[in-house]
Amino acid sequence: MKVHFTKIEGTSVSYYVALAVLAAFTVAGFAATLIMHEHGLYLSGMTNRVPWGLQISMAIFYIGLSAGSLVVSGLYGVFGKLEYKPFARIAAYLAMLFLIAGLLSILTDQGRLDRVFTQPFTYLNATSMFSINPWLYSGHIMICVIYLWALFKEKGTLTKISSLVVVLWAIGTHTGTGAIFAFVPRELYNSSLLPPSFVAAALSSGAALMILVKVGLFRWTDRRLDDEIIIWLGRRLLSIFLVSTLYLFLIENLHRVYLAESHEAGIFFLFGGTHSLLFWLGLIFVGSVVPAVMLFVKKTGTSVRWIVVASVLVVVGVFLERFLIVMPGLMHPPELFPGWEVVGGVIPEGFVTYSVSFLEVLQTLGVIGFIGFTFMLGLKILPFTPTEARALPTPSVAAASPDADVAGISGGRKAPALG
Amino acid sequence: MDRRNFFKTTGAVLAGASGAASLPVLSSCTSEPARAEESVLSGKRWGMVIDLRKCKPGCTACMDACREENNVAYHGDQRWDIHWLRKVQIRPEDETVAGEEKAVLLMCNHCDEPPCAQVCPVQATYKREDGIVLVDHHRCIGCRYCMIACPYNARFFNYKETEEWPNKDYPKRSHGVAESCHFCAHRLDQGGRPACVEACEAVGAGALVFGNLEDPDSEVSRLVAEGSVKRIRDDLGTEPKVYYLGL
Repeated sequence: MKVHFTKIEGTSVSYYVALAVLAAFTVAGFAATLIMHEHGLYLSGMTNRVPWGLQISMAIFYIGLSAGSLVVSGLYGVFGKLEYKPFARIAAYLAMLFLIAGLLSILTDQGRLDRVFTQPFTYLNATSMFSINPWLYSGHIMICVIYLWALFKEKGTLTKISSLVVVLWAIGTHTGTGAIFAFVPRELYNSSLLPPSFVAAALSSGAALMILVKVGLFRWTDRRLDDEIIIWLGRRLLSIFLVSTLYLFLIENLHRVYLAESHEAGIFFLFGGTHSLLFWLGLIFVGSVVPAVMLFVKKTGTSVRWIVVASVLVVVGVFLERFLIVMPGLMHPPELFPGWEVVGGVIPEGFVTYSVSFLEVLQTLGVIGFIGFTFMLGLKILPFTPTEARALPTPSVAAASPDADVAGISGGRKAPALG
Repeated sequence: MDRRNFFKTTGAVLAGASGAASLPVLSSCTSEPARAEESVLSGKRWGMVIDLRKCKPGCTACMDACREENNVAYHGDQRWDIHWLRKVQIRPEDETVAGEEKAVLLMCNHCDEPPCAQVCPVQATYKREDGIVLVDHHRCIGCRYCMIACPYNARFFNYKETEEWPNKDYPKRSHGVAESCHFCAHRLDQGGRPACVEACEAVGAGALVFGNLEDPDSEVSRLVAEGSVKRIRDDLGTEPKVYYLGL
């Protein structure tokens, strides 16, 4: 199957407006980071009881998106699904950018930005997940570059090898990121299920994001995108990732609530405050159950429009999941005196709260602005975008997919242009 | 191979594998930091016994002395104030159980298996040969992972700088680095004792007993050997070197 890639034109007013807005975000984020590092991190919402906040949540969210995008990209290289070849480049490019976004979020969150670029590499501590991960991340970015190069040069063997390496590496990266939390003695962090559920949620969000990017980009640039392509991604891939993620949540929380030693922490997580509302209403209901139903019910699951809605919900759900990994674990106090309750002290020892500060929001917008800007510019400079994405001829799709009705829907209709 | 070495080796292999694929600067990472003269530290393992029965209600002498001695930042804002020592009030959860409210002095436990040092990405937090866990403030990058890992909430972060600098013989910290009690290592190295211990004696309480756990004749060793001491969350396997009487 021959796929043609082109650059996008990028001459419309809306393109330049989008670039300008993203550039403004970047500048604002950069300024916010400088201010914070001139005066101190007290300008964030973090405290001595909640020392991690929005940036770390965003970082693990981005890294998840990156791993997920790569796996989608690997559909062509690793699993030989030819109809996904058109997306391999964009997916790999996005994966690289999201990893950079993750790194930027972590960087901007450090107390001593001046030391961040040297110390982790010169004083490596092999027992620290925070020390191992920069290597995983920087290795990840470099493999992405090699993989992208192989894709651009149409190097068959190198593409296959590098896409396999990059997919495995992505899973390693995400396991390592999950381990940042899982490997510390905090009641709501310390769980060996955390890294795998991290990976599962990463795959969900990555697949969902790819659906959104593809549909958005193809419609915006008025290119042909067959419905089957998106339907398979939604019904056959995203749905499985989503259900796996839900399953892991269920087991993790059941286990925590069941055991006496973690019962109280588990109850705090599930029913202990605003975060519980975010968990049940945001993550479980809106972010998981509703999109799962949309994907599994045939009527909605075979409609690109509904799949797009489901994908938006999944991305929001996984963002909440990231936030809910980081924050409640810090808001819940460590049990210092089992059998006793702490009734007073010079500093809160009990439940605490966290609120995001304005500068933190600017930092987040800055990271989004930076990668958004780079993404859009990249599309204009390099031929990332396929001219069309056709489903394979019906018989082979029917053979590959157990769901014959998916193959039998519409025979390659052109996606309507937006506006 | 014990747990520590297992993780060190596994981590080194992992990091090496990823390093080989990315940046070739690993060669400088293998040597352990040698930061203090061995002659001063060898044969010592500092520890403390806190006798809560002798601790005076409402007394803040140890905390005040610590703040003065170590230039510990106080901003009058709970979010950013730093407390190397802090008192908390506790009472039994089950009200039918006998036992009254009591005050417990909390501090860095100087764990023999310190999670903070285990997770520090730059080895800024480390355990000295004499068992003291301390922070190299010139190396700390301010990632706050140690605060996440400490099960005792004993670590604090310099969210902002303070103008106060009461003890000019000891540095104050810039914003952006983490810190916690270091058993007044600078005093110990000159043959002195921690400021809190002296302050507690000065008010006539004598609730803080400090000494060398390696030395079987020291008072701390004797109190620990008596067997009625407790450590906070002993079940975590962190092996604290701060013991409590009357907890």
